[in-house]
Amino acid sequence: MRRWRAIVKATILEMSSEPLALLLTLSSIAIIAFASVFHIHQFGGADSSRMARDAGFSVLLVIGIVYAVFCTVKVFRREIESGTAQMALAHPVSRAGFFVAKASGAFLAYAVFALTVFGVTVTTVVGAKAGGIVARRTGDIAFIWGPALAIDAAVAVLPLVLAAVADRFFRCRFTTAATWLSLAISLLGAAASIALAVAFGFGDGMIGVPLWLAPAAVMLLFPAAVFVAASAAFSVRVKEGVATALAGALFIVALPAFGNYYLSSALSKGATIPWSRVFAAGLAAVPFVASFGLLGIHLFNQRDIS
Amino acid sequence: MNSAPDNVVELNSVAKTFRDFWMRPTVKAVDGLDLTVARGEVFGLLGPNGSGKSTTIKMILGLIKPGAGTVRLFGLPPDSIAARRRLGYLPELSYLHPFLTARETISYYAGLCGLDSRTSKERTSQLLEMTGLADAAGRAVGGFSKGMARRVALASALVGRPELLILDEPTSGLDPVSTNEVKTLVKTLVKGGMTILMTSHLLADAEDVCNRVCILNHGRKVAEGKIGEIGSSLQDFFLAKVGEGRDFTVAEFLR
Repeated sequence: MRRWRAIVKATILEMSSEPLALLLTLSSIAIIAFASVFHIHQFGGADSSRMARDAGFSVLLVIGIVYAVFCTVKVFRREIESGTAQMALAHPVSRAGFFVAKASGAFLAYAVFALTVFGVTVTTVVGAKAGGIVARRTGDIAFIWGPALAIDAAVAVLPLVLAAVADRFFRCRFTTAATWLSLAISLLGAAASIALAVAFGFGDGMIGVPLWLAPAAVMLLFPAAVFVAASAAFSVRVKEGVATALAGALFIVALPAFGNYYLSSALSKGATIPWSRVFAAGLAAVPFVASFGLLGIHLFNQRDIS
Repeated sequence: MNSAPDNVVELNSVAKTFRDFWMRPTVKAVDGLDLTVARGEVFGLLGPNGSGKSTTIKMILGLIKPGAGTVRLFGLPPDSIAARRRLGYLPELSYLHPFLTARETISYYAGLCGLDSRTSKERTSQLLEMTGLADAAGRAVGGFSKGMARRVALASALVGRPELLILDEPTSGLDPVSTNEVKTLVKTLVKGGMTILMTSHLLADAEDVCNRVCILNHGRKVAEGKIGEIGSSLQDFFLAKVGEGRDFTVAEFLR
């Protein structure tokens, strides 16, 4: 367990220090934030929160899987090509244990990204809904997107500013600090917006707390787990470009299968996905994760580490 | 194969041919190598570049699977966890995670050795002191000089208090002061009961610290003997064994 924990911790740190991972996180925040702005000329304020919600889940699905594939391939290939795997495997660690711990670390790092994006989505949905209500009352259209955009801009920019300060005065690693601060500020933003929605509700309680989105977000962790396992399995045998291409091909082939998760239809109706469905989706992912995991362990056991 | 109890490492007719993705043979790195390292000795595996030293080391570590023959580490297969629990390894290049600090790096390897958090902290601090890195403990190793990175790697190899320490070119690229420190450390560790297997192509260093040496060339053992029983300086012995058949034509080139 100590060995597993050491490898998982190092992998999460590695992924959180990856500049492209931070770029994907910040781009995701920007897409969600601006989604509530771009549509207003066509749909009006009533659809703001729906646009934010759809953008959030699109980002979680598409950029999330790109993030999972990219980072998993990166950490496995770097470990093999830079020689750190040699150092690790000269210690009392089995190859299977190393593979599983590394893949678990990659998945948990993806979960950090997913939680950050989910926090921003909740903040934006609440902000856009509140803005829509205030805009209707005051007649000022800027309120439709103003609050949500302001909070999201803070979520995107504040971590960078604070990370720069931490780097300058406390010798913290900038990218790592920015990644964790993004998560913290995103969750704080979500908690604050939910608290405000509950406390004020703008008189008639129309805002509501979008926690019904949680099961849908949890559901998206399962395809990501499949892609982490697949990317890890490909990475131990072939080079970075080929492993990424294989995972990309799998993404294109498997994308229609995501319809099985009933996610898009449930979300479009604004319906809560029952936890039993989430559990079933998790069970459906298990054989795929296990198959790719076993394939990866087999390939890793066969190869020379030099 | 029965292992003699005093032999820490045993290689019996070991061979390794590297192959490409399509399984076509590319290089025969090691060819029919027999080797034993006894408990408590400093054994030097010497040879020119490309002679098969690092491949041999990696087969002993279980990182590379031999194509033929058997490798035993403490009488066990080299990929056995029980054998690797007693092993420390310093690779030729200091392969470190650049984003981890020196302290985090040593703690990471302490974790891989299965040490509990208290022991890990104690040993990490001791090793940082011992390697002169205490002041740089909080800095990411990605920004370290080669010598400092080498010290972090050495501390990482020692964190599990191994019985056998494998050093692949331990003084390669180090300045004379650091080289001397490494040699002193090797001598101290051996006095403490550790067995050391090191590779080098720096013969003076090997002559200073090794009890016994084996010379490889083109993947084959060309000589083996105790320092002092060789009968000449290691340099002359090495050149006689490895330099045979080599035609230095610099003068012709410059003409």
